[in-house]
Amino acid sequence: MSTATVSVPASSAAPQIDYLFLGAAVAATAILVALVLLDGQPASAALILGGFALGIAFLKAEFSYTASWRRFLTRGEAGGLIGGLIVIAICALAIVPVAALLPGFGGAIAPLGPSLVVGAFVFGIGMQLANGCGSGTLYTVGGGSGRMLITLAFFVIGSVFGSLSLPSFLALGGVDPVLASDYLGPWGGLLATLASIAAAAAVMAAVAKKCGANFMPSRSYIIGGIVIGLLCIGVFFAGGHPWSVTFGYTVWGGKIFAALGFDFSQAEFWQWPGPKRALTGSVLSDTSSLTDFGMIFGAMAAAAATKRYAATAWPPLKSLLAAAIGGLLCGWGARIGFGCNIGAFIGGVASGSLHGWIWFLAALPGCMIGIRLRPLFGMSRE
Amino acid sequence: MRKTYVAVVLLALVAIVGDHLTSPSSGRAVSPEDFAGACAPCGAPCPSKK
Repeated sequence: MSTATVSVPASSAAPQIDYLFLGAAVAATAILVALVLLDGQPASAALILGGFALGIAFLKAEFSYTASWRRFLTRGEAGGLIGGLIVIAICALAIVPVAALLPGFGGAIAPLGPSLVVGAFVFGIGMQLANGCGSGTLYTVGGGSGRMLITLAFFVIGSVFGSLSLPSFLALGGVDPVLASDYLGPWGGLLATLASIAAAAAVMAAVAKKCGANFMPSRSYIIGGIVIGLLCIGVFFAGGHPWSVTFGYTVWGGKIFAALGFDFSQAEFWQWPGPKRALTGSVLSDTSSLTDFGMIFGAMAAAAATKRYAATAWPPLKSLLAAAIGGLLCGWGARIGFGCNIGAFIGGVASGSLHGWIWFLAALPGCMIGIRLRPLFGMSRE
Repeated sequence: MRKTYVAVVLLALVAIVGDHLTSPSSGRAVSPEDFAGACAPCGAPCPSKK
């Protein structure tokens, strides 16, 4: 979990059910599921419910990529990141062979070039200031963190700015995606992918050992990682592509800006077939929006089922400023860098796409800078 | 903060349902990667196609 974002009031030791928000979360999810089923889209309903389950899993396991990166960079603790690799390894078992063998399915791919590197780097900075990445923002917003509402709002705005910048960054050059299964076949590609994950885990464990820190994932990260990995596979089969988060933010922002009178007809990004269709079509026909909505309401249901919901006070202004700046950087970086921890790192690596590892390596130094900036906003480096 | 959340949830739900009901029926949910020439989750084209 993004630390200090979803907290239990000290006075409520015993679990209590917040029926208002539990009911709201379940009712909202039921309404969305009913709408897509009325359109005859059971796969869309599955994506909403998959997102709902992911929201519960992330909240209950307190699974946080942002905190895991920070613990690794500040203390050498690798357990969180290795827990994240569990998710990727489980996803890869399905995504690499199915995407290569079955028509209608595809992996998360992206071109390699300055856009990917710059975007991931900026995202890394933003992630530490925002105190959450794409998925972290969703489930902490759902979990009742007002601070992360600010992050989400600015994440969406930054994402629209990113959509306007992306064509210029792509014009700087790059090479087509490099996919392991294209060179080694589906099973060779899977082996290479799993080997790369094992090698990364070994390096992380070695760094932790050298720092005298723990490298074993906690029990909640192991169980949570397995559950999240299996849910990611479910989302992959329902949507035809690996789970992604931040394109949904771009679509929401695009629709809001358009409703406010902004003209996207001259914006190159919004003339590409996918974004153009997403802007004009229903938000419930965009796969990433479906899982995003489900995840928010799933986390809301899980939080409201155990405590009085959103009962914490607003954080200090400096912290809200960090949330806003971090959100903007995350949104812009995710669009320029082809996604967040979920869409680019997990989805990319689990697809056997080289861009996933490049994204990870580029986001690391960004995280280091973000961690150094946190005290300026009254936030701990830890 | 609870009042803020009540307002945000209601506003978001109205916006989602309103957008869905006023948008052209589009059938199956898709990702930008589903479209020909897409080279990234956002639908960006491949460098070799530019």
